[in-house]
Amino acid sequence: MAVPILKLGSDLIASIQSALSDEDLIRLKDDLARQIGEWRSRGVVVDVTAADVMDSFTIRTLLDIAQVGRLRGADTVIVGLKPDVAFAMVQLGLRLDGMSTGLDLEEGLALLRKRREGPADGG
Amino acid sequence: MSSATIQTDGHQAPTFTTAEQSAMRDLWTVYDDHYDEISQEAERGLAEDPEFGPLIKGMSRDLMEQQNQRSRALMRDAMRDGRWEPYLADLLEQGANYARMGLSFVSWYRAIGVIRPSILRRLRAAYGEDSDRLLGTLKALGQWFDTAMSTIGDAYLNTKEQIIVEQQEAIRELSTPVLTLMDGLLLLPVVGLIDSHRARQMTDHLLQGIHRFRAKVVVIDITGVAAVDTMVANHLIQAVEAARLLGATAIVTGLSADVAQTVVKIGVDLSRLHTVGDLQGGVSEAMEFLGYRLERTATGTN
Repeated sequence: MAVPILKLGSDLIASIQSALSDEDLIRLKDDLARQIGEWRSRGVVVDVTAADVMDSFTIRTLLDIAQVGRLRGADTVIVGLKPDVAFAMVQLGLRLDGMSTGLDLEEGLALLRKRREGPADGG
Repeated sequence: MSSATIQTDGHQAPTFTTAEQSAMRDLWTVYDDHYDEISQEAERGLAEDPEFGPLIKGMSRDLMEQQNQRSRALMRDAMRDGRWEPYLADLLEQGANYARMGLSFVSWYRAIGVIRPSILRRLRAAYGEDSDRLLGTLKALGQWFDTAMSTIGDAYLNTKEQIIVEQQEAIRELSTPVLTLMDGLLLLPVVGLIDSHRARQMTDHLLQGIHRFRAKVVVIDITGVAAVDTMVANHLIQAVEAARLLGATAIVTGLSADVAQTVVKIGVDLSRLHTVGDLQGGVSEAMEFLGYRLERTATGTN
């Protein structure tokens, strides 16, 4: 199932609504990489609220998305990790190093806005 | 065993040879004949006892009589008819009750010390002529007391263990509160020992708290943690990283000089943690991060 990507101002929002296959994730990465250039986006929010599990492939893809985004001039924020998912990730040693995280979509957008307004301080 | 339906907690009815059984019956005959006298003597003997005294005084005549009748029937079943299970089950229950009331286990030996001579006297009067029979009843008396006391002892141990478990549970519940200091700022005071179970619970509470209160910053205060070893440090790092995944920054405060030295000595890498000396510093840093400013007003009383 493809992940819908919404454009909101200078940001892109990708909301993962169901369990994704590896192909879906790769497609999401490609789509985002393309659309960032297309819309000249400055920020990307990936919402994983609906995800009950985060496996290593998902996390690697998210990290890839962040890196690709940065190379194309957009900050990436992951939002909507559930407490137990976060706990499980930490226990499995899966880390989102070098990536911003937010509680939910609202926080994620606020974080991106804040970054743009004051690029000096990194969150 | 036919007693399968009766809960005796591993207490099996003692098995006796025919000779022992008949000695037990001899003992019961004497005890039964003088039951009331022996009870009264025991009551008198224990009236001044620091623990049993108040207990006996506090009990109404009726209640005491009722209890006496009840245990008499149970003992009759056990000693005369060999049906020990109900008697032992009753002892277990009573023992647990007394243990919860705080009656010491030693006091039971004082009670036995009072009852034993009073029974012995009557055994001698009854079987004094027949030394074999007397010896048999003496042995039976010992067996009876041993069985009863080991059962009561078990009841005490079980009760104490249960109390310990309950208290541990209570401590666990008490010790990981997540407090809101202001909008977006949570405080997690950690007190005592951090084991894996508590660390898991602590992190769980913290994450739920962040989610519920939409916290941006959490201050984890470990002033009350006596010792930090590699395990504890890892638990802390995990909690901090999990908090970050939910978009919250964690500040760890209250590492004492000793703890800091230990951490350095054992080579734990806490560089991934944002640490501040004390709780005050941590909170003011958190407030700064959130854009709050604490200001003293002119209307303050001091």
